Amino acid sequence: METGTLKKKSGGTAGRHLVDLLPFLALAVLFALFCAIVKGKGYRLDIYLKTIFNQGVVLAVVATGAIFIYTLGSFDISLGASTLFAATMGVLTYNATESLPLMLLAIFGTAIACSLFSSALASAFHIPAFVTTVAMLSVLSAVSAQIITTRGGSLGGIGIPKPVVKPLDNPPFKIALLAAFFLLCFFVFQLTKAGRRQKFIGGNLVCARLTGISYNKYAILAFTMAGIGVGLGAFLTLVYTPSVTATTASGIGMSIFVAIVFGGMPISGGARSRIHAALVGGFSYILLNNILELVLEGGSAYGLTQIVSAVFFLAVVYVTSMNYRTALLPR
Amino acid sequence: MSTAKKVTGTLAIPLLTALVLECICVMNGNHVITNLKSFNNFVVYTAIVMITTMALSINLNSGRFDFSLGSIAALSAVTGAKISYAMLHGASGSAPVMLLITVLAGALLGLVSGLIYVALRLPPIITSLGVTLIFEGVLYTFTGGKYVMAEVQNASMSGFVGTWVNAAILIVVILLAMILIFDHTTFGYNYNALKNGQKVAVNTGIREVPNAVLCYVICGALMGVVGFLNAARNTNINGGQLNFGSISIMFTAFLPMFIGTYISRFSSDKLGFLLAAVCMSLLNSTFAVFSNAITASVQSIINAVLLVVFLIYLNNEQLLVGTFMNRGQKVKA
Amino acid sequence: MKTRKMTKTMLTGIALAGALAATAMTASAADLKIGVLVADVSGEEAQGFRSYYENYIAENYDVEFVYTDALEDAAGEKAAIEKFASQGCQAIISLSSSDRATQIDTCDEYGVYYAIASGVLDDELFETYKGYEYFAGQVGPGNATEFEAGKAMGEYFKAQGVTSVAMYGAFIPNPMHVFRAAGVIAGLGDTYGGTNDMYEMIGQIFADQKIDPAKVEGDVALTAYLQGYGDTTTDEINAAIQKEPEAFLSVGMATTFFTQMLNEAGIPFADIDSFTQANGTAIKEGQLVYLAGKYSSSIGPVFALIKNAVDGNPIRDEEGNAPSFSQGYLVATDGESFDEYYVADNGDAPIYDKETLDSIIGADVTYEDFKALVESK
Repeated sequence: METGTLKKKSGGTAGRHLVDLLPFLALAVLFALFCAIVKGKGYRLDIYLKTIFNQGVVLAVVATGAIFIYTLGSFDISLGASTLFAATMGVLTYNATESLPLMLLAIFGTAIACSLFSSALASAFHIPAFVTTVAMLSVLSAVSAQIITTRGGSLGGIGIPKPVVKPLDNPPFKIALLAAFFLLCFFVFQLTKAGRRQKFIGGNLVCARLTGISYNKYAILAFTMAGIGVGLGAFLTLVYTPSVTATTASGIGMSIFVAIVFGGMPISGGARSRIHAALVGGFSYILLNNILELVLEGGSAYGLTQIVSAVFFLAVVYVTSMNYRTALLPR
Repeated sequence: MSTAKKVTGTLAIPLLTALVLECICVMNGNHVITNLKSFNNFVVYTAIVMITTMALSINLNSGRFDFSLGSIAALSAVTGAKISYAMLHGASGSAPVMLLITVLAGALLGLVSGLIYVALRLPPIITSLGVTLIFEGVLYTFTGGKYVMAEVQNASMSGFVGTWVNAAILIVVILLAMILIFDHTTFGYNYNALKNGQKVAVNTGIREVPNAVLCYVICGALMGVVGFLNAARNTNINGGQLNFGSISIMFTAFLPMFIGTYISRFSSDKLGFLLAAVCMSLLNSTFAVFSNAITASVQSIINAVLLVVFLIYLNNEQLLVGTFMNRGQKVKA
Repeated sequence: MKTRKMTKTMLTGIALAGALAATAMTASAADLKIGVLVADVSGEEAQGFRSYYENYIAENYDVEFVYTDALEDAAGEKAAIEKFASQGCQAIISLSSSDRATQIDTCDEYGVYYAIASGVLDDELFETYKGYEYFAGQVGPGNATEFEAGKAMGEYFKAQGVTSVAMYGAFIPNPMHVFRAAGVIAGLGDTYGGTNDMYEMIGQIFADQKIDPAKVEGDVALTAYLQGYGDTTTDEINAAIQKEPEAFLSVGMATTFFTQMLNEAGIPFADIDSFTQANGTAIKEGQLVYLAGKYSSSIGPVFALIKNAVDGNPIRDEEGNAPSFSQGYLVATDGESFDEYYVADNGDAPIYDKETLDSIIGADVTYEDFKALVESK
């Protein structure tokens, strides 16, 4: 996607380091600003922080898993629908068996199976993975909606009894889960041959193939990691609200793009991929939207919030990619 | 390639589609197109799909992924509706005035999108994410998140889509304009050169930036037409499309784009997009015939399956042909 | 050079953010702050409700209303309640129904009063939550009332002698729309799956996820049916029009989506919506011949429930539980009857005006006072 051969003069090592730190800096600034505004308005910061964390954690885990797919230079638009489908299967399983372990098995099994199915379809029939994910988006959303509305009856949704997950709906548990998943991803991405090869494939698929690296093998790994992320996201969604409606997690699919880019990673993947991008970017994005919601109150504030958020998004990406400008227009 | 083969190859998919769908309808005591009213709808929908597919393909063929098409269609239509209503209050002539303003607004929004892309020099998929969010935000602010209805509900608008003639004129004009612009002008030659070899084209002196910006302007103008037709057809415009609510229009154009690209092997890609749009419109009319039995969810699944199946065929054609030929030879032997 | 530019850009950003923060430091001065959960921001009814609260109630009482954007799912609803609690809202009024159980649980957790103004809880859920301390109650058409509203519409057209109709099921399986649709079929004198019993019909509709025209039997034929709103809706409504039904019966939102098309086609239509200006035009100048609706100030009593609860006099029924008041629909069949409700509920003199509401707000107000007033309107 990128034309690295025509790089302009870069800003030097110090500049590059600063650019690498910018997403963290942006997160810190946004966090400080958020706290200042909430305090300044006399609102309760403890509740707000808990809400922000709950909003961000699902996006962060799903997007962190998705980084493996993005690193390969591909992307998956169906992750929101997969999260919904996995959660739906989890609820059905629990209601049939009343077993939490079986529910977890169903959630993760479904999520990984959906993810691998997209990958297998793309690999076996040589079609772009993106197109299979567009198709999966339609199919998974439609099937989930059918199940939920049929089973939900007059409630309009399906759910598990609240006491099943209530003990888990607390920040320490979720932080531990997020940390464990992040460490797993960090290990695979940074400290194994597989992670390095994925970046190589994303940087230059032809060269990678010529050196004997199998794309399919690493695509399967990437989609499996993404599936685990989706499963975790579905589980955390149920922990927060133990019910599923046809629109659950519908916003996640596209927010992943924004989160990853916000976190300082190029959407084209390759060597500049960063495993922390989704975590940093996801929370930055959620914080930014909440800051704007607090500042821009009023009838049409949601439109203005989105405009300012988008401008800020483009500005951050522009600044963080300053050292990677090319003479040709990027594609 | 012989003329007969070209004609056969070009018309095979649309004819086969029409035949299969008509057979399905006849078996259930219906027809795909039952009367003049359904023919009007069929032509209008064909125009919408063809123009959207062309708009999508202009940038996508050049490796520029653009999520903002739907937001441009909606925002330009709202702009056109508000201005034309302020001028004429829904009186006679509202539709052509709105069409003109909507196309201009679409071109302007396309220009903004293109300028952001060339100014920031970020990958187009990223700028289009930002641009989509901005346009959706403007749309929401402009409309308060409500449906725009009074401005597009008048006799002039319903008359415009109440006959197949206007949509057919749009199809012909846009098809000819696209062929002229992309196949017979310096801009078009440069576009094709940049599409097929960006680095080489730039090294030969082709100015990439104005070419890219103009592509965005053309896409914007085309989506303006789509926005207008959708507003006239649906008799409202949804002003509350936040958080990428506008991007689904893009996904509906994938299948016709791939079908059109396949047909272009036997003729031009623009003609391919028209014929692919005819196929999609036939399918849509069939869904309408069976609307009592086929829900929106099922339609969505059918469309997705068709997309995948067609791509599987497209990307494994040689393999399939080889397999069948080998089998045929074995049988003969 | 570039590093300097980047630093400058970041500093500008931080300065801008600081300025934003400074503008944000304004707190609410109202005595009562109520968060409103909204799922629909664009419908005629939703806009009417909002206008009544913001332009009439907020003018006449020391109250501030804070609205959400269109909420999409249960997580969005829960997060919105938590934010409202953090912002110091003493109460939540819900017009969003993705997960009512979680809404009530969350309000209970944060000690925030909660009331339902649209799409009331079904009997089972109400039984579960009616004893919750912070559940202040619900006011609105119950499911049986929704069925009766649909039935009255069907009966009206049956009495007019129609023999074929097309039907729009709005957003089935939304329970409200399911009950209305079942009522319409029953009102037409038809059966669904061989029955006209309310519970048996709705059970089948929930299972079918739609009205299956093949299962409708009786004197009045259902020639076409459509529901939802999407890419194919325009084709479906056109297909329905081509079947030339004598009337088009909708259980919601038809006046938003199809007025122009049905006017052009000359097909008389009916809808369950609200008394708004646009619907007035449709009934006076168009083909809308039957409108069952709520008036915008019908959500006044919910505000009164909340105000009493926050002021220390939560209204409870005879058994000490949260009250559930049912509201009926008003029906207009021409411009004159439409104006009777529309004009009466407009501007500075809504049906639930300050004087009326004051009669059910206060330390001495009882459940009986409330019931008597709500059922009289």
